[in-house]
Amino acid sequence: MGLSCVGGTLHALKLATIPAMTFSLSTIRMGTRGLLHGRIWSPMPLICRAFSSNAVEVPLTREPELVVKPQWRASIDFKWVRDNKEIVAANILNRNSTTDLELVLNLYEQFCRLQKEVERMREERNAVANKMKGKLESSERQALIEEGKNLKEGLLALEEDLVHLTDKLQLEAQCMPNITHPDVPIGGEDQAALKKMVGSPRMFSFPVKDHLQLGKELDLFDFDAASEVSGSKFYYLKNEAVLLEMALVNWALSEVSRRGFVPVTTPEIVRSSVVEKCGFQPRGQNTQVYSIEGSDQCLIGTAEIPVGGIHMDSILADSDLPLKYVALSHCFRTEAGAAGTATRGLYRVHQFTKVEMFILCHPEESDNYHEELISIEQELFSSLGLHFK
Amino acid sequence: MREERNAVANKMKGKLESSERQALIEEGKNLKEGLLALEEDLVHLTDKLQLEAQCMPNITHPDVPIGGEDQAALKKMVGSPRMFSFPVKDHLQLGKELDLFDFDAASEVSGSKFYYLKNEAVLLEMALVNWALSEVSRRGFVPVTTPEIVRSSVVEKCGFQPRGQNTQVYSIEGSDQCLIGTAEIPVGGIHMDSILADSDLPLKYVALSHCFRTEAGAAGTATRGLYRVHQFTKVEMFILCHPEESDNYHEELISIEQELFSSLGLHFKTLDMASADLGAPAFRKYDIEAWMPGLGRYGEISSASNCTDYQSRRLGIRYRPAMTEPPPTKLKKGKGVTGPTRFVHTLNATACAVPRMLVCLLENFQEEDGSVIIPQVLRPFMGGLDVISPKLK
Repeated sequence: MGLSCVGGTLHALKLATIPAMTFSLSTIRMGTRGLLHGRIWSPMPLICRAFSSNAVEVPLTREPELVVKPQWRASIDFKWVRDNKEIVAANILNRNSTTDLELVLNLYEQFCRLQKEVERMREERNAVANKMKGKLESSERQALIEEGKNLKEGLLALEEDLVHLTDKLQLEAQCMPNITHPDVPIGGEDQAALKKMVGSPRMFSFPVKDHLQLGKELDLFDFDAASEVSGSKFYYLKNEAVLLEMALVNWALSEVSRRGFVPVTTPEIVRSSVVEKCGFQPRGQNTQVYSIEGSDQCLIGTAEIPVGGIHMDSILADSDLPLKYVALSHCFRTEAGAAGTATRGLYRVHQFTKVEMFILCHPEESDNYHEELISIEQELFSSLGLHFK
Repeated sequence: MREERNAVANKMKGKLESSERQALIEEGKNLKEGLLALEEDLVHLTDKLQLEAQCMPNITHPDVPIGGEDQAALKKMVGSPRMFSFPVKDHLQLGKELDLFDFDAASEVSGSKFYYLKNEAVLLEMALVNWALSEVSRRGFVPVTTPEIVRSSVVEKCGFQPRGQNTQVYSIEGSDQCLIGTAEIPVGGIHMDSILADSDLPLKYVALSHCFRTEAGAAGTATRGLYRVHQFTKVEMFILCHPEESDNYHEELISIEQELFSSLGLHFKTLDMASADLGAPAFRKYDIEAWMPGLGRYGEISSASNCTDYQSRRLGIRYRPAMTEPPPTKLKKGKGVTGPTRFVHTLNATACAVPRMLVCLLENFQEEDGSVIIPQVLRPFMGGLDVISPKLK
């Protein structure tokens, strides 16, 4: 289940509950340690369990636990985040993210300590188990059995806390934006840097028509019928426009596969967890993602998603890399929140055909492949005779 | 009652005694109230009538065999099963060895009955689509691509049941929209609620789209590999025509299909489907089943239905027949120069359903060394490639 981390009621709800949780966890942790040393065990497990299951003895200050569990875990390098806190904090600001870095680091610290506790307890329990292998007095054995039992119960409770802590850590940490290349300009839309300019605007000796008018006169599309059948921002392509779509797709696939990319077609319905793992938010406010009713599936907005999923949960051989795919698929986008300008005609539509390139590579080579990809794109559009930047 | 009310209203136009007028006003008021109540009843009754009547299946062509699957009549047989001098592999095995599909990755990413096509299989899909579009548009059909998300009401008007039990239709969450299971639906919708000119007909479309089907209730046999999948590419033919011509166009559609599949070198049989297999909209349905050596049996690769006016009565597609006689001279100019509108007939037929075609091509044209020969007619659409060979790893 993905939560939107950029505004919205869900985010506010999350923040409201966390502080109380943090407090309770610390209480438990301290209480556990104190009691362990004193070997006075009986009351503790009760409170641990009460905490976990919202049973009778609940401190009045604590709010009921919001049971929100991430469906999957990201392998985030928390050590690196902790050791580069300043860079990460600045990046979060530059990327307009609302991730609470302090919270992440806080939770991570608690996680580390709790994990150490758990390990220590496991060692103790193993030690007790070992002791019991030897010859013992009946009373000694009895005491050890008792200790072993207490350790086991304590361990179970702590492990449960560890799971909850990991869930919370994941929920907040998954929202963290990727770090940024040092050369990327800081700022908004207007701060984008010009990397390359190709060609110049054509000079027309007659009044220029927009694509909608041309399409109407050449009988190339039908937006009106599509509006009745499907809704706004849908369309039929007709006649030569169909040939043009086929030609563009054939040509792009051909050009890119010539350059060593494996052609694929992909599913257009995918599990929502895969959408999230690619960095999109299917359930966010103003989500771009269509969901399928009665299922955890969504429609893809780009072939990036199903292609990213091809090698999900895999370990590739070094020699397998780089893997280069060129994928043909239809794409579906809700375009929620994209009202107003530039929504006429084909510029912004709910469904379209796209040929997408995807590369999996060694970390040290990704900058180079980024340049390779942009080169391919520039060559393709130049060869079509387009003027672009 | 409306007439009575109009009569009362007319009466009130003249000069009346005050008491007479009062009585008429009273009568008019009563009539108005009574009318409102009756009109409301009429709406409710119409609703109930519609609900039940919409379920009525189309009438059936007299030559259609009565019965189930086994009652289908053989209309035509083309070719014969190829004799193999080596053990025949099914399309899944061929696909694995030639690195043409990936069902396992798709199972993780999307679920069962999803797949990626790879390498030459992508070229083959493109070639089949290009070739089918080209062949059919040559025969006078207008090529179109269509929305794949449509309002559920349009799905219903075409004769499908998006909310039914075991529905084939995927619905979009939080909306009244669905995914199409065939381009028949969005193409049927193009002229929804329209009155066409007599001279507009026939309208012939060849539509390229992706299709989505839940395949709920289709567990068990023949669900392996590409035979039954949730998503596929299809080229579909659709005709809107004069009622008296639909039988002829049905024959034209099945001829086109038979020509297409013959030119690919497939062995197949054309069946006149029996009454129980027609589905609600069809008046008559021809299915083509091609020989699939890997399956060891015939499998459906296309379906051609004459829906007569079943869909057009629901989609509201009418035409104005041209007058065959000159109008009476006393008629005002421009008034009533054509007859009352009539409903068009609609037909639909599969030109190419890519996955089933892939099954046919791979299994029928396999060679002993595991390679697959590409039919002549497709080679120009594959950059001249004539064979898919095993890759050396």
